[in-house]
Amino acid sequence: MQRRLRHTALIILLLAPGSVSAVLAGGSFDDDDHGDQLSYFGFVRDARGIGVGDAKVTGEVKDGASVVTRTDVLGVYRLPGFSKDTDPTKVTISCAKDGYRQTGILQRTTPGPDVKAFEVECRMQRM
Amino acid sequence: MRAAVSALLLCLLGLSADRLPARAEARASALSGRISSVEEGPMEGVLVSARREGSPITVTVVTDADGRYRFPAGRLSAGRYTLGVRAVGYELAAPRTAEVAAATTVVSDLRLRRVSDLAAQLTSTEWLMSMPGTAEQKRPLIECMSCHTLERALRSHYDADTMFRALQRMPQYANNTTVQRVQKRIADRHVNEEQLRRTAEYLASVNLGHGAWPFELKTLPRPKGRATRVIITEYDLPRATIAPHDVRTDAQGFVWYSSFVENFLGRLDPRTGAHVEFAYPRVKPGSPTGSLALELDEDGNFWLATMFQSGLMRFDTKTLTFRHFPVPAALDSDAMQQSLVMPGRAHVDGKVWTNDVNRGAILRLDVASGNYELFDPFVGRKGTQHSPYGLAADAQNNLYFMDFAGESIGRVDAKTGRSVIYPTPTPRSRPRRTMMDAQGRVWFAEFAANKVAMFDPAREAFREWEVPTPHTYPYDVFLDRYGELWSGSMSSDRVLRFDPQSGAAIEYLLPRQTNIRRIFVDDATRPPAIWIGSNHGASIIRLEPAD
Repeated sequence: MQRRLRHTALIILLLAPGSVSAVLAGGSFDDDDHGDQLSYFGFVRDARGIGVGDAKVTGEVKDGASVVTRTDVLGVYRLPGFSKDTDPTKVTISCAKDGYRQTGILQRTTPGPDVKAFEVECRMQRM
Repeated sequence: MRAAVSALLLCLLGLSADRLPARAEARASALSGRISSVEEGPMEGVLVSARREGSPITVTVVTDADGRYRFPAGRLSAGRYTLGVRAVGYELAAPRTAEVAAATTVVSDLRLRRVSDLAAQLTSTEWLMSMPGTAEQKRPLIECMSCHTLERALRSHYDADTMFRALQRMPQYANNTTVQRVQKRIADRHVNEEQLRRTAEYLASVNLGHGAWPFELKTLPRPKGRATRVIITEYDLPRATIAPHDVRTDAQGFVWYSSFVENFLGRLDPRTGAHVEFAYPRVKPGSPTGSLALELDEDGNFWLATMFQSGLMRFDTKTLTFRHFPVPAALDSDAMQQSLVMPGRAHVDGKVWTNDVNRGAILRLDVASGNYELFDPFVGRKGTQHSPYGLAADAQNNLYFMDFAGESIGRVDAKTGRSVIYPTPTPRSRPRRTMMDAQGRVWFAEFAANKVAMFDPAREAFREWEVPTPHTYPYDVFLDRYGELWSGSMSSDRVLRFDPQSGAAIEYLLPRQTNIRRIFVDDATRPPAIWIGSNHGASIIRLEPAD
């Protein structure tokens, strides 16, 4: 449990919005200020609670684009870049890996007006 | 449409520039010598340039571990040459010329002395290495390099308020602006003044506002070993305002380039020096001129993304004529900007991909009808910062795009129009230009992360590699057919050669300040020839590694 908390604290730190940078000259972008966006993060774990590395994690916005990433060796993922106006209940998180099947989704963060990062755990089981 | 507006024969000079690889050339030298200084004795990694009087072509070689340089016979024809050097911290003790004669090796030893104004020799990378401050303070400055080096800001005497007013002007210039050719946007851009104020205060704390730079000037090491075994040929273009952006060769040996600030497609014949400008009309009067991306379709025709001039231009290489594909009025605006184009798989479905930087969206042209479709690949992600930029297409003409304002790459399915976003492992990476290899893998530059990267669509997985020099900010990558990755940047004046298998890297220093955008590799020979444009220096550069 302590290990899990430590990992969670670590990934929250990694996901904390950086300070923003200004648009200056004629570069082909307007800003890289991502402070207002929502993100999802968490673990993909097996039935024993061990992180599953290299699992595919998909965040799908209803009627919108899918966001796809893979877990690191600890089973951690991050899905950044959702609009602050996104209804968190309209985003479906799923996970997949050869030899596994998804068994459950655990919402670890309660949505609220000031919440920008949602921890969602995906559970898998070896087939 | 009118074509071929001007043709300028730049001079033959007897330089047969279409060469065998450097290593295949005979050991005979046209000009050779040794470079030394009081401080170091014989000096390795000094770039020695020779330019024949009246010629627009400069040839450069690099000294070896013994301080020796040699221009192979055949690279310099007979004549009087002005010699120059690049070795940070040094300059020629006195101006030097050399008389090259046929079938004779001329020996010219050169002495260097310490330079009095080291700052004038610093690259933007070296300024960023030297300046105190946090990564977040320096991060906004990478945008400055689109138009000029950081020396301009660092040599100012502005206090924070004056600097703030100067910075307020910057976003109102068009992306396709250079110091030689300033262009203003028609549509105002919103600026976060709080961010701008912080940047102004930072710059005012490190410029000459207090009389001297409050930090020591740091420099990168000179080239060593394999990085010295190279020949660089620079072809000056006929006007200082020409800003070559994307450069590529064709099967006939011509070099083509997009002109970032003027409405023409350029063609250089490196065998003869002949230069031709194929002009196209100013279709949006009052809007900034020039194009960014230059891509080839399967019929051998060129496509230009015409930035603020609305839509795309196709250049028929057989008839030497343009056809314009304007964006319809319903989608057009003063702020609209097509910077990229991808016609590479148009044979599949008759469609060509492009972008609209202003909307942060993708456009797709139906070539037969001239109609455009609009795609928002970030549905459900509105309000966040995105800007589809570098484009690549797979064998089914599905699109892969770089989210330059963000930290993802994306895929748009050609049939369904649905998009999938793939965040890069490194946050805030700002993926920039890209290419797809023969295996369908997507290689790209992570501009703000100082990394190059590969995305494997089959595995939906990334690999990233940090480039060796900090503050390089790679703009583009090219994987040659031998598996080596090439990259350039706007800040370091270096071309990176990188082996993704071994991690081995070589950085070739260029003879002059060179703002590099697209990198193109002609890998018909091994080692290949690398072609780039000097976006701020009005020249085309060929780099030939000797091994």
